[in-house]
Amino acid sequence: MIELTLQFLSFMASALLILIGIAGMLFLDNLIKKIIAFTLLSDGVNLALVSLGYFEGGVVAILTPGTSVAEFPQNAVLIFGPGIVLTNIVIGVSTTAVLVALTMVLYKRYGTLKASKVLKGERK
Amino acid sequence: MSAVATNLWTIPLFVIIPIITAILLNLLYNKSRTIKVIAIASSIVLFVLALISPYGFQWFTGQPGVTPGGTYTFDASIFSYRLSLEYYFGGLQQILITIMSLLLVFVVFLSASSLRKNIGPYIALIFLLFMSSAIIIMVNDFYHLWIGVEMGSLLLAGVVAASGESISQKAALKYTFFSALSGAGMAIALAMILGVTGYSNITNAIQYIMSDNLSSLSGVLYIAFGFFVLSWIYAGGLAPIHPLKSDVYGSAFPHATVMLQTQSKLMIVAMGLIILRLFGTLPFAREVMLSVSVLTMIMGVTMALIQTDLRWTLAYLVVAHSGLVTLGISLGTVQGITGGLFQAVNDIVYMSVLLICCEAVMYFGKGTSIKTVGGIAKRAPWLALAVVIGAFAASGVPPFNGFQSEIILIQASLSSGLPEVAAIVLMVSVTTFIALFKPIYNIFLKPDNSPIAMEGDAGAGIATMAMVQPTSPVPKSIYLFLAILIAIIIVLGVYPQLALGFVQDTAIKVVYFPWVP
Repeated sequence: MIELTLQFLSFMASALLILIGIAGMLFLDNLIKKIIAFTLLSDGVNLALVSLGYFEGGVVAILTPGTSVAEFPQNAVLIFGPGIVLTNIVIGVSTTAVLVALTMVLYKRYGTLKASKVLKGERK
Repeated sequence: MSAVATNLWTIPLFVIIPIITAILLNLLYNKSRTIKVIAIASSIVLFVLALISPYGFQWFTGQPGVTPGGTYTFDASIFSYRLSLEYYFGGLQQILITIMSLLLVFVVFLSASSLRKNIGPYIALIFLLFMSSAIIIMVNDFYHLWIGVEMGSLLLAGVVAASGESISQKAALKYTFFSALSGAGMAIALAMILGVTGYSNITNAIQYIMSDNLSSLSGVLYIAFGFFVLSWIYAGGLAPIHPLKSDVYGSAFPHATVMLQTQSKLMIVAMGLIILRLFGTLPFAREVMLSVSVLTMIMGVTMALIQTDLRWTLAYLVVAHSGLVTLGISLGTVQGITGGLFQAVNDIVYMSVLLICCEAVMYFGKGTSIKTVGGIAKRAPWLALAVVIGAFAASGVPPFNGFQSEIILIQASLSSGLPEVAAIVLMVSVTTFIALFKPIYNIFLKPDNSPIAMEGDAGAGIATMAMVQPTSPVPKSIYLFLAILIAIIIVLGVYPQLALGFVQDTAIKVVYFPWVP
């Protein structure tokens, strides 16, 4: 029997976000909707990364005055996940900016946001 | 093999100089003469730096290593758990960065000569592409590797889109969408390895995996391996998503493709070696990598055969020859890895010759399609000679460099008990010859019957080229660059040990001491 812990639920939520994101990127025809699907995928990955480091009763991995140095390593959540998430947010914003810029240029050229029309007849 | 310096002064310069140059070029924007002087001076400095740099480490964030006894050390030769983000500059890094910086000099010069507007931002992107490639090949921690690959993907999209053709912008858009999937996969793989081993340093993670019970980790390692291979396939443009990368190569300016294919080769080598070091002990890991390599070679050359445009033929051949590089790495033997790394060096050089020749053909004003252009050999015999030498080198004809690396790959395949793989390498050589000589015959030798000048849609993007104007003279600098690259092709073909000395050390370390960068 699978225990419905907070970590398990957040993994499920992240899997759902990732699947919605991938499906949206692959099957939606509108370029802006594809970009929104990409941001959902990125959020799903971020949630998965944070959930990896979480455990029940854990404390934030910052050593503050008054915290027992001996107990800190046992109680602190893994810092790697949130560390990667911070970088992933920056990368996600940069990627979104590039995607939006390219979509704008292609919209000006073709007058449509439909990927099927924009990408049609791409090879000379 | 021993490391000599813990905080090597040259390593940060490979990152800082391109960034400062890129910022300056962006500020100067369209002052072409100043941009040209700064960019060429900066690329020459990078070339000299790569040539003279000693070997060693750089602990980028400055924290000491922690020894098993609990003491701190700044000595890279002592075993310790590295808290800093670590870079390593050795023989492999030296030869690859030297060649890349030499090509950077050429590409900067060609860009500055042929572009009419927005030169600053365009060359700035090329410098940042160099920076991301240098990071990827020197890095010894997962975190920086991931950032380098992500940056490289975005910069590649920028360089491609800058050509201003609609086909380039579409290729860049598709590539960026897929980069989202691959980047997400790599982030999860990175988190899994960090979660399981506790180390972002590749050396420490490998030591942990080798010293602990692998079976308890293997489930997680398999998933991480899968995501890493996915990123490797994406970054290198390997099969089955090779059309994405060949679209990118074919739709960028040929001189930009010189840098793009160099970046891809560096990514393939760096990530391939890390996968082999980290997951080499997993059953089926090498078989998966080998399958991807064989599929890439076959798909690449098959697609190259049916092209009718030199640009697109080269785009698919770059992909096919990436398969040769990954094949050597996937074999996992000293001979195989040596052959793969040597092939990467050779491939970068002869493909650059062919791409620069392709750029020169565009100066005749009729594009690069076999249907529109012909009779170039009569008007530019030296260019015809250069393209034939490049094609011979790519097809593995002696005494050129491609022959030396391909023969090592064939021997390595036979030594590993894989004669069928050796046969595929031979088939790739022969098919490359056929695929290249069809456009070469039509473009260079066949009489020119078409008076119609090429009508491209260039001009809408940030960088508009002067070369699309009908019949501009081919710049003399192109002949100079081709002569230098052909000299390298012949020297490496006759004296392969000059390059083998740089790559063999890495191959030995990967096989026998995988924890050593």
